[in-house]
Amino acid sequence: MTAPYLVAAQPQDSLTLNSVKGDFIQLRDVYKSYGEGLVVMDHLDLDMRSDDRLVIIGPSGSGKSSLLRVMMGLESIQGGKISFQGKPYIDGTARGAGKPLDAKLQAQVGMVFQHYTLFPHLSVLGNLILAPMKVHGLSKVQATEKARVFLARLGLESKLNVYPSQLSGGQKQRVAIARALMLEPKLMLFDEVTSALDPEMVTEVQSVMMQLAEEKMAMIIVTHDMHFARNIASRVVFCANGKVVEQGPPEQIFTKPKEPRTREFLEKVLHLD
Amino acid sequence: MNYEFDFHFLTGNFGVLWDGLKVTLQLALISNVVGLVLGFGLCLLTLSRWFFIRWPAQLFIEFFRCTPALLQIVWFFYCLPMLFNVFIDPITMGVLALGLNLTAFNAEAYRAGVQAVPREHEDACVALGLSPWQRTIYVILPQAVRTALPVLMTNGISILQQSALVAIVAVADLMYVGKSIATEAYRPLETYSLIALIYFALSLPIAQLVQWIERRQDTALAR
Repeated sequence: MTAPYLVAAQPQDSLTLNSVKGDFIQLRDVYKSYGEGLVVMDHLDLDMRSDDRLVIIGPSGSGKSSLLRVMMGLESIQGGKISFQGKPYIDGTARGAGKPLDAKLQAQVGMVFQHYTLFPHLSVLGNLILAPMKVHGLSKVQATEKARVFLARLGLESKLNVYPSQLSGGQKQRVAIARALMLEPKLMLFDEVTSALDPEMVTEVQSVMMQLAEEKMAMIIVTHDMHFARNIASRVVFCANGKVVEQGPPEQIFTKPKEPRTREFLEKVLHLD
Repeated sequence: MNYEFDFHFLTGNFGVLWDGLKVTLQLALISNVVGLVLGFGLCLLTLSRWFFIRWPAQLFIEFFRCTPALLQIVWFFYCLPMLFNVFIDPITMGVLALGLNLTAFNAEAYRAGVQAVPREHEDACVALGLSPWQRTIYVILPQAVRTALPVLMTNGISILQQSALVAIVAVADLMYVGKSIATEAYRPLETYSLIALIYFALSLPIAQLVQWIERRQDTALAR
């Protein structure tokens, strides 16, 4: 494991030079590691505005997914603080903490995962109305009505009573997005949502995400699809070894990256495409 | 073989047999309710992250798996009243012994079902804001039951057979009344064959149902 030493050699000011102000989400000095060897968030600072669509790119193991999982409350941090909508959200400095402090704030975050996480024993409708009924206390009629609206928006109204096993991969992911939207989140997290899909199904999922972007939904997206990243991002964040190496508008990152590490990474992945 | 079958003696005994059958069905059905409900609870305990919850639960399971059911029944009937000074009616005691035995076996079946639920579903539940209890009831339990159903049903049939063991402690179930009739009428062959047929007729449809469910699950997986 040589990675942590490489990090130490990085000029610290590259971070502050590129930092962007925003008070929707603020990560300050966030630290997370799995044991000693693997530091996935190394005193990370990151800001986000409510109209931002952050796309996080970087080599695997750079902490991209960890950032999303921490924001969702699936994993804890061991240092630093995160605020969400101006309120303290996660505090890694307190002992035994590092998970969301406020369930109400946590409920305003929605997440879609790489692998389909639809519940196979419930129909599409059942998947959509479970949380609105049990968590938000909606009646079945209200929740069903809402589900119809969301499914129609994503072009899935005919699939209301179908079970997940009868859907294609792309349809499953669209239903998963609809399920998250049912809870009216203020922030949507997308963790490599098209990575497990057959190529011909990627577009239908991406166009749903583009639709959300047009509706000004705040999103953090982790993806390996650089073309899509360029299209949807308001800002691209390049992470490596648990740090933000460089961030900026997609045009800048993809055409004239400042940091050699960013350039090196982009050359590799774009060459492969 | 020059034995002459004679079923005439049974005509006067239908009422007794029917009463015995009712007791057997009562034992089997209530034990199954106990086993299905407590079994899931016990399964959750064995999956606990705390050793002091997990360990006694596992011990409970091993106790019932590693001792003969006949011994468990005898122990419940004779030792429980002596130890705790409780005297419960024989059928309830039978249900208790058989139900707890089934609980142990069903807990293992449920556990396989719970462990087959993908890890990602846990994450999805957190993302949807479901509480741990809601996750268990609405997401994990239904999926676990589906996977475990054939085993749960097989365990259910086997408890119907095992219920015959309570005859030894004088609970008037089908086996017990059969034994009395056989002795009174000196007709063991006819009586025991008939009793066997009744048990068989009760279990076979359920066994067939299990096979049908398994076939359906196989084709569902193959899709």
